[in-house]
Amino acid sequence: MSLMEKLATLDRRYIYLLAWIFVLFPLLNPLGLPIPISNDARSWKNYIDENVHDGDVIIFAPMYGVSGMPELFPMSISTMKHLLEKDVKIVVVSFWNQGPLVFNALLNQVDPADYGKVYGEDWIRLGYVPGSETAMGSFAADIHATIATDYVEGKALNTFPIMADINSAEDIDLVVSIETGTPGTPEWMRQFNAPFGTQQITGCIGVSVSGMIPYLQSGQIGALMPGLTTSAEYEILLGKPGLAVAGVDAVSTSHILVILLVILGNIAYFATGGSKK
Amino acid sequence: MADLLATWVAVFFTLGIYSILYRENPWFRIAESVYLGVAVGYGVAFDLKYIRDQWGGQWGSSGTMMILFAIIMFVGILWYARFNKNTFYLYRWPLAIIVGTGIGMALRTVIFSQFLAQITSQANTPFFVPGDMLSSVNNILIQIMVPSVLLYFWFTGEIRDSAPMKIVEKIARYTMMAGFGSAYGYTVLTRYSLFIGRAQFLLGIPPNPAEAQMAFYVIAFVMLVTMIGWDLTHRSSE
Repeated sequence: MSLMEKLATLDRRYIYLLAWIFVLFPLLNPLGLPIPISNDARSWKNYIDENVHDGDVIIFAPMYGVSGMPELFPMSISTMKHLLEKDVKIVVVSFWNQGPLVFNALLNQVDPADYGKVYGEDWIRLGYVPGSETAMGSFAADIHATIATDYVEGKALNTFPIMADINSAEDIDLVVSIETGTPGTPEWMRQFNAPFGTQQITGCIGVSVSGMIPYLQSGQIGALMPGLTTSAEYEILLGKPGLAVAGVDAVSTSHILVILLVILGNIAYFATGGSKK
Repeated sequence: MADLLATWVAVFFTLGIYSILYRENPWFRIAESVYLGVAVGYGVAFDLKYIRDQWGGQWGSSGTMMILFAIIMFVGILWYARFNKNTFYLYRWPLAIIVGTGIGMALRTVIFSQFLAQITSQANTPFFVPGDMLSSVNNILIQIMVPSVLLYFWFTGEIRDSAPMKIVEKIARYTMMAGFGSAYGYTVLTRYSLFIGRAQFLLGIPPNPAEAQMAFYVIAFVMLVTMIGWDLTHRSSE
């Protein structure tokens, strides 16, 4: 068996082993590869800086579970820090059942009290609302009828000052949705943007980017944060490097590996007459 | 102590799931089953928590509310009818209600958010952006490629076999291949990002607990030794 034939029939476990090496090595020995800032990261930061005004009401929605955390958690932390620096009201709600779990983890990293925010006055947690898009429609139409109590203290919503003037999607200025799938941006568009004109920015996993770009180009979403690398760029723009920056070297080396394997695979395929078989 | 135990358990299940990369094995089976069980249990618990927290104190507020609550709970319980052959048909009722309300809610605005807004945006895309060559090229490509792909899925009429349509089809195919390639590239990015996140945890990179690294080395060693050892002993006995 020639070298090329061996390559074409290589046990896939060697490829997995290489993947582990290419990911673990740069994490253990950071290479410090340059991180150029993309337009996506700049747009996300600029959107929050220029379009979020004092007194705005923002829905912060972690629309993902623990399986999406490696890619989305860094951008959730950075965005939350960015929003907390502003004089805005933040309503945290999720239509994914693991959303509250993710936000618990976020609160371990970011304490709103450090930014002078008081629970119930400047921000509130409404927890998880089951029912997917139907629940989102109900929430948009009447928040108090959909959720009677808050997630943290279990008190009636109307006992919190922040909720005095927030009744429906009409009172929401911006939705920040960090998401992995359904329900996600199309559902927000249908239940918030189309009927109420609520503005939105979306952070998503790489898999979803191709489906999100039409919404960005049409202006239906104001900014898009696609994946871990853009999160790293955003962390740099904010001057707060975190988990995403720490992982970018590994992203680069792992992609180099994929490109090399694609080239090698093609060489082996054509060298062994694969196209004629 | 509880945190340390949680870290070791998390490392065990992370490596248990990844052990499938070597081959099917009991570590993976344990991790897979526990993960699925926990995920389903968590989902059910959170749904029940919503009912308890948000409906508590409301269902007894009036006779109408009590009747509505009883109906809703009854319909909800019918979901579980699917686990018995004799009652399976009853499960279609809650399914029909969920699908019906879901479609109704979506159709209400889908024409605006996913058709008209996209068509308007496409129509408003200028061919040329003064002073920005890249955007101009991008916009021209969009104006050619989007209609080509739409025409590609136009299956009726004699025009389908005409010469100009052959050119349109070719452009559409290349457009879709570019789209699939882009989607695949992003998919690779996501898969590696997920892996990198877990690797950061396994290596105890802050803010992950530092104890994870030791747990990683110990548990990975045990799993590899048992799997490779099993293979070697069985190969030699064969």
